[in-house]
Amino acid sequence: MKIIVCIKQVPDVTEVHLDPETNTMTREGVSAIMNPYDQHALEEAVRLREKLGGGEVTALTMGPPQAEGMLRDAVALGADRVVLVSDRAFAGSDTWATSYTLEHAINALGGADLILCGKQAIDGDTAQVGPGMAARLGIPFVTCVQKVREVDESRLVVERMMDDGYDVLAVKLPALLTVVKNINEPRVPSLKGKMKAKKVEIERLNAETIAAKADCIGLPGSPTQVAKVFAPEARGKRIELQGTLEEQLAQLAVKLVELARGQEVR
Amino acid sequence: MLILDKDLCISCGVCEESCPFGAVTMQDGYPVIGDTCTLCGTCVENCSAGALSLSVEKAEQGDLAEWSGVAVYCEYYRGELNPVSLELLGEGRRLADMRGVELNALLFGSRFSGELDEVAEKLIAHGADRVYVVVADALSTFREDLYCRVTVALLRRYKPEIVLAGATAIGRAFIPAVAVTMHAGLTADCTSLDLRESDGALLQTRPAFGGNIMATIVCENTRPQMSTVRPRVMKALDRDDTRAGEVIVLEAGELLPEEDGLDSRVEVLESVAGASGAVNIQEADVLVAGGRGLENAEGFELLAELAKLLDGKISASRAVVDAGWIPYPHQVGQTGKTVAPKIYIACGISGAVQHVAGMQSAETIIAINRDENASIFNIADYGIVGNLSEVLPMLIARVKELS
Ligand SMILES: Cc1cc2nc3c(=O)[nH]c(=O)nc-3n(C[C@H](O)[C@H](O)[C@H](O)COP(=O)(O)OP(=O)(O)OC[C@H]3O[C@@H](n4cnc5c(N)ncnc54)[C@H](O)[C@@H]3O)c2cc1C
Ligand SMILES: Cc1cc2nc3c(=O)[nH]c(=O)nc-3n(C[C@H](O)[C@H](O)[C@H](O)COP(=O)(O)OP(=O)(O)OC[C@H]3O[C@@H](n4cnc5c(N)ncnc54)[C@H](O)[C@@H]3O)c2cc1C
Ligand code: SF4
Ligand code: SF4
Repeated sequence: MKIIVCIKQVPDVTEVHLDPETNTMTREGVSAIMNPYDQHALEEAVRLREKLGGGEVTALTMGPPQAEGMLRDAVALGADRVVLVSDRAFAGSDTWATSYTLEHAINALGGADLILCGKQAIDGDTAQVGPGMAARLGIPFVTCVQKVREVDESRLVVERMMDDGYDVLAVKLPALLTVVKNINEPRVPSLKGKMKAKKVEIERLNAETIAAKADCIGLPGSPTQVAKVFAPEARGKRIELQGTLEEQLAQLAVKLVELARGQEVR
Repeated sequence: MLILDKDLCISCGVCEESCPFGAVTMQDGYPVIGDTCTLCGTCVENCSAGALSLSVEKAEQGDLAEWSGVAVYCEYYRGELNPVSLELLGEGRRLADMRGVELNALLFGSRFSGELDEVAEKLIAHGADRVYVVVADALSTFREDLYCRVTVALLRRYKPEIVLAGATAIGRAFIPAVAVTMHAGLTADCTSLDLRESDGALLQTRPAFGGNIMATIVCENTRPQMSTVRPRVMKALDRDDTRAGEVIVLEAGELLPEEDGLDSRVEVLESVAGASGAVNIQEADVLVAGGRGLENAEGFELLAELAKLLDGKISASRAVVDAGWIPYPHQVGQTGKTVAPKIYIACGISGAVQHVAGMQSAETIIAINRDENASIFNIADYGIVGNLSEVLPMLIARVKELS
């Protein structure tokens, strides 16, 4: 089975803040990591390959040249091939243009039986690229997969996490899944994997080699446009409760009951 | 492309300072734009010399004026209408009135019987002018590919200028596929919507980067303008049964006449609702959340007791989900769920940014922690410094007295 895992390099968002005065992002020492959900997608791909006793796992990313480091990490974690789709012309891509670009890259790689994505990237946070890609590829897809129960060469049985439970679905291949983090526990890279990562040759694609149309990529190909970026409103100041712990809790209990009922106590 | 006119540039460096993405560096007196540029246009606005410009040649998609009206996808699943649908009708009504257009509700079900009829009436009573009810047996279970096709067919036929859907598991699953097929822009997880005065374009505001940044997004050149909206941020209108509206029932087969129009390559084998650990914490008015400070899984029993008294549910930090004290659907935060309850009581949670990202839009936040310097207190409206084993039983007793 040919599996392509789409992985995205993201800033470690704990370190990203917008300075409300200057409206600029602090970027000092912000490190770049593999999107956490994508680590689970990669792990699942490697497990499926191991379970089926064969196949190929390709990690694919669209991003700047700096994403190479992350692709090497992917090899250390079990990917067989790694592909970087990079071009200045991709700058400003929204999820529409990103789906278009990744779809073209997947086609340039000869397609896949199964495509795995994370549920969402922790920077853009939209969860739109996976479903968008599936729509473009014209293949079925299932989002928020929490377990792959069965797999063979023609279909999968998976559990889809819902807001209030889960559904068990059978889906025909080729298909695309997006995964949530409780699907598996990613492994730590092995020494052998790390050696392989150092030597692996990163395959490169660009706008031309994936045959992308200029008006479908980057900013021109993006229907959404970021009009303004600003810092979120700070929350109101904390209200001090007075007295001993017991007295504080008595006040808090009244407040709680009032808020919960939406009316004053007594 | 971001274009610099060197003749106009006065080398002031304002662009470097103003770029929120740190994409500009000054070299030899001129700005050089790096790879992190998202073409957001902030520097263009700030350059007083007018030396920077964005050249965007976006293909206009036909005649935008053909698209009119606001449509709301109303999620009806397992026999229940998701409350976010009514919230969106409330917001949709406001936008439709500002635009002077109609508000239409889209509702899918297996057949138009008493139950669905009642739901349609409810949607009208909450603001819809018209309800399009699409029926087919195949729509009784949620399948991404099929729901996408039906919605696309509806949108192509009725051409609304704005489409809203809840940012729920279902909305976030198939709406992105609809947007891509329609060649429309889609803004995820909006927390506020408005119309631009100059041209009536939809201004869609959403958090990104784990809630550290807010972005306002527009889709000027394409229709429909689509947004998914977080549950509980918009206000539903009060039910008004005197409102008039029209219900139009459509057979899905008529919308998708091709022979395989209603086929799906996904089959639902089983649908497990309310299984152990399954909860929809996003719908709760009150959430009592536990973290590592609970010290063990049994700690959640006290939280459950408090939650019950307040008619709420329990949620958790990732640390305790990872420890196996409580299942993943309870996790709040960046890699869990985003919630906006009326009351969020954080018990023994330190307040890591990844947790805060998921709960900072709660109306009232109460923190209980033994460490007075815990960062959760920075965002709390009420804080109690104390040991949970002491505080919780006392608080529960007090609340009981009042109930
Ligand atoms: C502040 C801000 C707000 C934004 N809001 C929106 C918006 O509302 N709508 C919109 O259309 N765009 C928006 N964008 C643009 C969006 O972030 C980019 O299009 C981004 O390339 C992909 O979206 P995402 O990060 O949300 O990914 P998601 O859709 O959340 O990613 C899901 C999965 O898709 C795969 N994937 C995503 N990107 C890549 C990649 N580059 N390479 C390989 N795999 C990938 C991964 O498997 C990932 O787990 C916004 C950007 C910014 C900076
Ligand atoms: C990529 C990434 C994604 C993440 N996503 C999430 C996410 O979605 N959600 C999430 O929650 N976290 C997430 N995290 C983890 C996050 O960084 C924190 O590690 C986690 O939230 C900490 O959980 P906690 O507050 O329960 O535990 P701790 O940080 O250990 O805090 C325990 C608190 O309890 C207090 N305490 C201890 N004993 C008592 C007592 N007896 N009485 C009163 N107070 C007591 C302590 O003072 C302390 O403040 C993520 C991390 C990463 C790197
Ligand atoms: S803000 Fe304008 S004038 Fe100033 S350095 Fe930048 S491009 Fe030149
Ligand atoms: S367009 Fe936005 S991201 Fe690009 S350089 Fe200017 S301010 Fe920075």
